[in-house]
Amino acid sequence: MRKADGICACVLFAFGVLVVSDGMRLGAFGWGMAGPEPGLYPFLLGMGVCLGSLLVLARVLVQSRRGLPNEPFISQGGLKPILWVAVPATLMVLLTEFIGLFLAAGLYLAVYTRLVGRSRWVTVLAVSILLPVVSYIIFYKWFQIPLPMGSLEAHWPF
Amino acid sequence: MEALHGLMLGFGVFLTPYNILIAVAGIFVGTVVGVLPGLGGANGVAILIPMTFSMPPTSAIILLACIYWGALFGGVITSILFNIPGEPWSVATTFDGYPMAKKGQAAQALTTAFCSHFVGAMFATVMLTFFAPLVAQFALKFGPPEMFAVMMLTFSAFVALGGKSPVKTVVSIFVGFILAAVGLDTVSGDLRLTFGTIQLLGGFNFIVAVIGLFGLGEIFLTVEEGLRMEGVSAKMSVRVILATMRQLPRFWKTYLRGALIGCWMGIKPGGATPASFMSYGFAKQFAKNPEDFGTGTLEGVVAPEVAAHAAGVSAMLPMITLGVPGSPTAAVMLGGLMIWGLQPGPMLFKDHPDFVWGLIASIWAANALGVLIVLCFVPFFAAILRAPFGILMPTIVFVCAIGAFAVNNRMIDIWYMIIFGIVGFVFKKLDYPIAPMVLALVLGDMAESAMRQSLIMSQGSPLIFFTWPIAGVVNGLAIVFFFWPILKAVRERLWVARGLPQKV
Repeated sequence: MRKADGICACVLFAFGVLVVSDGMRLGAFGWGMAGPEPGLYPFLLGMGVCLGSLLVLARVLVQSRRGLPNEPFISQGGLKPILWVAVPATLMVLLTEFIGLFLAAGLYLAVYTRLVGRSRWVTVLAVSILLPVVSYIIFYKWFQIPLPMGSLEAHWPF
Repeated sequence: MEALHGLMLGFGVFLTPYNILIAVAGIFVGTVVGVLPGLGGANGVAILIPMTFSMPPTSAIILLACIYWGALFGGVITSILFNIPGEPWSVATTFDGYPMAKKGQAAQALTTAFCSHFVGAMFATVMLTFFAPLVAQFALKFGPPEMFAVMMLTFSAFVALGGKSPVKTVVSIFVGFILAAVGLDTVSGDLRLTFGTIQLLGGFNFIVAVIGLFGLGEIFLTVEEGLRMEGVSAKMSVRVILATMRQLPRFWKTYLRGALIGCWMGIKPGGATPASFMSYGFAKQFAKNPEDFGTGTLEGVVAPEVAAHAAGVSAMLPMITLGVPGSPTAAVMLGGLMIWGLQPGPMLFKDHPDFVWGLIASIWAANALGVLIVLCFVPFFAAILRAPFGILMPTIVFVCAIGAFAVNNRMIDIWYMIIFGIVGFVFKKLDYPIAPMVLALVLGDMAESAMRQSLIMSQGSPLIFFTWPIAGVVNGLAIVFFFWPILKAVRERLWVARGLPQKV
């Protein structure tokens, strides 16, 4: 937990530095045509994040110096289920770029309900076909939201 | 009198078949959303905002508000039957609600919770009805320095009230503000924080952030802990419901205390959770038999519920009068207002009275309707949670993806949603609070323009925030709140140094 806390603070610090540098680029201290220059606000915010993350980092270091009890960032056996959610979801989004959201979602639902949910094939098929079809009718046809269809857009029969 | 007149107008707006239908649908959807893991008020509302684009604004806000009330009801069901608090402010409800359910008194516990919800919400609604016009009247005098001060107070309240680590709260707020600043600077026309990329040009949409942070992030947390669905089944019978209702007036003191705490804390952002714990704590302290608390007493269910729902309603007060939301869900609704083309803030009462009063009337009606609906359909809602998680989880991810895309019809937003999901998980694990970050993301543009306009008014002197009377007082308060954790720590040190018993 402490290690993750430290790493997170470092990342936030780097993020803050990035923001501060962009603020400096835009001019943070001058007086422009329309009041304070546009960089002032990001500059101040970036400084705030830097300062805060340094404080967090300092506390992490003090705690580990004193050898206070620590616990793992991800609890025992917790990583696997997380990856089982994160990786297929990311793959679904990636697939969406090519074959559209509805097909990708159908595949994703089928894979997940079968492999993780261990549902029966009937349930798997029902869920992975019905849900995308119903949401296609509701969102694409009814609410007319142009959800991504990927490269299938041109050949879509409906 | 003006308030009563407005309320009549509001009921005139609300009582059309279309709006009532929308309210019932909203409560239903909201309860489902509240019951489902990974979905809650904030992201349930966020996902549905795109569906409201084609509605008249009043119907749209009624729908979203009813989803919010529904989600609050849904959270009650999961905390009592499954010991899973859907929202942080339902945690205190599990203390006595779940033991009651295990003793076979689930129906009593649910009835008590819903009735307490109703009383708390009604109390806060009365307050809202009569108080909101006055606050709005007062806020009409506010200029940019005052608006900026009010926002500072809002965020300082987060630092003072919420979270385990005040520093992390501050960092989280700043990150939210930074994300809001990405993209085109509307004053100078410069591109900020885009680093030459086209993708960042459009900035980050808070709705996408909410869906990712609260939706996916919550799912990651749920699966990490390993979901245990040891639900207690509930059989609701009219006889038990009526018998329970007859017992409730005994607790009128707990009701009154809880409602007052809820109204007071709810105005401040992030107030519902401390309100529910405070109310529970007070109820225990003043009870004749405090040792019964935690084993399943009616009063232990009443206290947190009344306060949490009074707070949930009173969070609407700053949203409609000042344009500063009191809870993440209210923040999402506020974002909706801007999308529908309404400028949140005190002018709403003058420019769109039908909208404001329609909303307030809908709160009256929706809470009454809501109690009836959930009481009738508890077994149905509980059944949703018994559906296999392997089917629920991918469905929720799919719905989240649709919601994220539909905000701007941009593919990149679905990617942002995944990234925000991971960030949300890491932040939650490391105690960086997420609610203030979302609020900062919503209010970022308003806060910045208020700050810059004030600086223009004062020709660059930051003293304007302290020399203007109202702004000065509010900012002073904000500073006290901001340093409250330090002040508290110093005070505790002093107590210890003097050898006095430490105050809890």
